[in-house]
Amino acid sequence: MLSSRERVNLVLQHKETDRIPLDLGGSSVTGMHVDTVYRLRQALGLDEPGTPVKVIEPFQMLGEIKPDLMEALGIDVVALAGTRTAFGFGLEGWKEWKSFGGTPALVPAGFNANPEPNGDLLMYPQGDRSAPPSGRMPQGGFYFDLIIRQPPIDDRSLRVEDNLEEFGPISDEELEHFKRTAERLYTETDKAIVLNVGALALGNIARVPGPGLKHPRGIRDVEEWYISLTTRRDYIYQLFERQTKINLANLKKIHQVVSGRVTAAYLSGTDFGAQNGPFISPKTYRDLFLPFHKQINDWVHQHTSWKTFIHSCGSVWALIEDFIAAGFDILNPVQCSAADMDPHELKKKFGDRMTFWGGGVDTQHTLPFGTPDDVRREVRERIKVFGPGGGFVFNAVHNVQALVPIENVLAVYGTARECGRYPL
Amino acid sequence: MAIFEELRQAIIDGKAPAVKELTERGLKEGLKPAAFFPNVIIPAMDEVGRRMRECEFFIPEVLIAARAAKAATDILRPLLVGDESVRPAGTVVCGTVKGDLHDIGKNIVAMMLEGASFRIVDLGVDVGPEKVVQAVREQQADIVAMSALLTTTMVNMKAVIEALVAAGLRDKVKVLVGGAPVTEPWAHSIGADGYGKDAPAAVELARRLVARA
Repeated sequence: MLSSRERVNLVLQHKETDRIPLDLGGSSVTGMHVDTVYRLRQALGLDEPGTPVKVIEPFQMLGEIKPDLMEALGIDVVALAGTRTAFGFGLEGWKEWKSFGGTPALVPAGFNANPEPNGDLLMYPQGDRSAPPSGRMPQGGFYFDLIIRQPPIDDRSLRVEDNLEEFGPISDEELEHFKRTAERLYTETDKAIVLNVGALALGNIARVPGPGLKHPRGIRDVEEWYISLTTRRDYIYQLFERQTKINLANLKKIHQVVSGRVTAAYLSGTDFGAQNGPFISPKTYRDLFLPFHKQINDWVHQHTSWKTFIHSCGSVWALIEDFIAAGFDILNPVQCSAADMDPHELKKKFGDRMTFWGGGVDTQHTLPFGTPDDVRREVRERIKVFGPGGGFVFNAVHNVQALVPIENVLAVYGTARECGRYPL
Repeated sequence: MAIFEELRQAIIDGKAPAVKELTERGLKEGLKPAAFFPNVIIPAMDEVGRRMRECEFFIPEVLIAARAAKAATDILRPLLVGDESVRPAGTVVCGTVKGDLHDIGKNIVAMMLEGASFRIVDLGVDVGPEKVVQAVREQQADIVAMSALLTTTMVNMKAVIEALVAAGLRDKVKVLVGGAPVTEPWAHSIGADGYGKDAPAAVELARRLVARA
């Protein structure tokens, strides 16, 4: 019997193994909303009713996937992530909170659990309520969206440093955390470890507004950012150049302390795709992003055994060849419901060069609105398409969201375990 | 007119300062403010829509062109107040539905509709059904355009349609829906009049819906 780690390693080398490995919670883009985690744990009888679930990622409101849940579902992957949230406060000092969906949860001390008079929940950078809030969850909502705090832009005084404030050398404490956690996960579990640094990626629109900064400067408005990719190319290029230098130095330090324990590194979480096509032209990707993605990937491939993981929602068919040229080994979330993202075509054209990590079931339609039979049918079909020859780690397309019927979630993992045995 | 041609190109190329300067120059030379819409703004934004559909333009280029078009309309609109000869193509009440704060897609659709000479009443994000009903009534809207990015909020589109029915306004407006998880069958299932898969499609649909009304 293979260990989970061996299983994942083999499929990443595009080899068939005993079964297709499964991911849930291995990264901040392959997780599950806290409300759904709670209902799943209850359905599986893992907890007494009312037992709270930890919110380990308060921006997307992801719930903790604990080892007992991983065992119950047959999960092969585990996350190695930092100690800070998108809002800049730490994952510590847990307190009780009930989500708008009624889920008993535990949230970090920095999480503002007091709603505004209109019922909305605001999140403050670094948990500091004297600073302007940086996130909002509308009353009855399930996620936070970032509040844009764009100071007036004067191109003559725009400085690259202003957009670099959130990037700096990793602290000794953080390194110690990575070291200890990697050791623990490596010795206490047989799971493949995914290093999560994707949020620090170049131009990640979920971070551009600077949600962890008290007074962000530079270009922080989302529309202004997209416009700048065309109108302020030199600025963006310089910014990416500097950011890559910082990220690479940090990655080298992390590598020193986690060394061979990591299987894959989630390096970029920037979304390049919308529903109908890429956000930016392939030329913009090649000019602004590719050189720096390549620099990081080349270093990883020269100095480590890690496979590199890029996440991009949406229709990215037109960019995948460039992602491969930039050295990425793994594509996530494989949003087959977007334009030009047909599973057969993806596997045929890129399957021998790119591992598909995701694409297992559609989270826009089938999972929330289909029947368990619809779910089973789709999971079986995706396994048949993506599974042959390895190069496939099973996961839903992106995080499993709130309000998804639990019988559908159970159908996903039940079918993936049953039908994912090689030979398919 | 050479100046119209130059202006059209400046909008497509997203050169807002040039657009402002050319618009002012055109007015000074005696061109009627109303003439800019059929001769410049609408054809320029149609071309932007075409390029977006053909994957020649992506989000940055569309935003820059829309911003350039706005440089012209900001000058022209105040000059058209009270001018009965200039009627918008229709009035569109738009917004992102209750519980949803995502507005980039909605904003791009609104900009493109405005470029196609629709009057836009943008209710913003997290918009409840009662607010839509009130706006439709007060603004005498022809179209309600709703957006949602989340699977947890797209269901709220149905609540808006139900509220329009309850208020006796459903027959008076056309309802257009869009957003990443929204599909044509979904739009049908909730009783919407149309689904726009992207901004150019939304403009085309809005034109068809008001022409039919």
